Amino acid sequence: MKRILSSITDGRGFDIGLVSLPLAFLFVLSGLPLVYNVVMSFQEVDMFSLGSFSRPFVGFKNYIDLFAQPETWPILLNTAIFVTASIAGQFLIGFGLALFFWVNFPGASWLRGLFLVSWVMPGLVVGAIWNWILSGDFGVLNFLLRETGVISGNIFWRSDPNYSLWAVIIANIWLGTSFNMILLSVGLSGIPKDLYEAAELDGANAFQRFWTITLPMMRSTIGAIVALGLIFTLQQFDLFAAITSGGPNNTSNVTQYWAWDLSFRQYDFAKGATISVIMIVFVMFASVVYVRSTRHEVRG
Amino acid sequence: MTLQIELNGVNKFYGSYHALKNIDLAIEEGTFVALVGPSGCGKSTLLRSLAGLEKISAGEMKIAGARMNDVPPRKRDVAMVFQSYALYPHMTVEENLTYSLRIRGVKKAEALKAAAEVATTTGLSHLMKRYPRELSGGQRQRVAMSRAIIRHPKAFLFDEPLSNLDAALRVHMRKEIRALHDRLGATSVYVTHDQIEAMTMADHVVVMRDGVIEQQGRPLDLYDRPANRFVAGFIGSPAMNFIPAVVEDDGAHLALDLGATKARLSLVAPVAPGASVTVGIRPEHIRIVGAGQGAFNIPVGVVESTGSATYITSATQPELMVVETGRSAASGGELIGLAMDPRQLHIFDAETGKRLEPQKALLDAQITSRAAPHPAAATFSPS
Repeated sequence: MKRILSSITDGRGFDIGLVSLPLAFLFVLSGLPLVYNVVMSFQEVDMFSLGSFSRPFVGFKNYIDLFAQPETWPILLNTAIFVTASIAGQFLIGFGLALFFWVNFPGASWLRGLFLVSWVMPGLVVGAIWNWILSGDFGVLNFLLRETGVISGNIFWRSDPNYSLWAVIIANIWLGTSFNMILLSVGLSGIPKDLYEAAELDGANAFQRFWTITLPMMRSTIGAIVALGLIFTLQQFDLFAAITSGGPNNTSNVTQYWAWDLSFRQYDFAKGATISVIMIVFVMFASVVYVRSTRHEVRG
Repeated sequence: MTLQIELNGVNKFYGSYHALKNIDLAIEEGTFVALVGPSGCGKSTLLRSLAGLEKISAGEMKIAGARMNDVPPRKRDVAMVFQSYALYPHMTVEENLTYSLRIRGVKKAEALKAAAEVATTTGLSHLMKRYPRELSGGQRQRVAMSRAIIRHPKAFLFDEPLSNLDAALRVHMRKEIRALHDRLGATSVYVTHDQIEAMTMADHVVVMRDGVIEQQGRPLDLYDRPANRFVAGFIGSPAMNFIPAVVEDDGAHLALDLGATKARLSLVAPVAPGASVTVGIRPEHIRIVGAGQGAFNIPVGVVESTGSATYITSATQPELMVVETGRSAASGGELIGLAMDPRQLHIFDAETGKRLEPQKALLDAQITSRAAPHPAAATFSPS
């Protein structure tokens, strides 16, 4: 008894105590709901069995039913397009801006800080702003495109099935670009200046220096940011709620919005849980990429 | 010999800060030049200007006869070894070495062959697949040099390449770099704050301070005839002793001001009577003799012994340092006599610090008129 007590005050017991607190916290608030969600995806759940944990086990029935539904594949495709286009847009524009501010002209850091405004804004507010911009009749975007001659007639971004998903993608790119830019700026400033000087003396022009020094040195940052981008875009819910609500006719619906819709609007909790489990698999994959790429940092 | 590097009236401004002031420098092909000076003297700026990493504000810069003022670094064909080595951390040693060749579109097999050749001469063959982070400081240093050698550049620029190494390795690499320079027949410009490196490695030493070249020439010329007090104090270790003095009315004797200790030295050549001067004498040019037998007596302050030499610091104001090879019998508080050859005295103007050159003809006449060896020639006269 005495040994156990002394171990808590000045030994391994103390370390274990410190570690177990956050672990218990994580388990109760993240682990249990996650497990509950997975269990639910293998059960038959309705409004009446919602309160109890012992519900009929149905095996993979929920999964089979889900993929039998006609909207499932289009929604999965929408999700893939949403994630790919958002990450690509956020990353490319973010990298471009990071390189631009890296030049360090007067006021660069001040202006770069200003860009964070888009990131700190709540998704619903961003959605509301973009509703005005994207508006079919009097939206600024239509006005600009019309005046520059890109389009001849107005595009009804939010209600046209061909454009509804892209309306959310545009807003999401705007929302996430500054975060990408900040992380990439940090990565860029971590590259020692003398590497560029050495490369310059070795005969490399600006393009070659970017290709042989900047990009390889940024590999871990880029890996981390793409993985984080995948996680963040799969979490993006507010913009769908604010701009299209997944419509019209599911053309802008994605898994994360659909899971909520199934569970809390159609009260099909089991299917909502099933979709969530499918998403968990992708997010886990992204997390592994993220952890690995931040661990394998190349620093001279 | 042709001139490989030529600088005429080079100036560099950072805003209102004047970093390089009218630098004139002519470096012959195959010369090893050391730029030396305290930190902030402009030596690194000058080197970076040669590389093209800094743009000069005025003047002309030529490498191998071609004007380089507006030529970007990648077209200057000079190689630089950085203080931090600046190895590409994401490339193996082999990739680091072949980088410049690959950039220029040299065929892969050819580049690998060149890398293997260079690696053999620098002893890196067994490390070719390693990454820089897996190498020791000395090995990184070798990679940095090999990366420069493989290009056969018009000039090698070294920016304090040894300052990150430990003392023993530094002495070793000093010889290795010089040997490499001789073997390649290269033109090298070497920046250092360590005058020992400059003295031992270079054919031509350029001493800089505050953006100005204070003196340049062969290492021993700088040691024997420093142009001013700054160069005199900078070159040589331990540093030269400086004693304020006044030239006596006859113009042939100096009254030294050593605080409580008063001393008198005779000059080998006359200087304007009454002038305030600074007398410089190197610690290794002073001999210790019995009290009363030398030019003057001093009380001993601190005695430090390294085994091979003994450093004796006097308890005077200013302090005098004397180096005696081997062991010394002197101990603190004791009174000792100092003897010195007046021809090894350096006389500087007290105000400008410039070397006061006795008229040469006069000097020669005086030396020949005296007995050839100078046994404690400076006369001691109690004051």
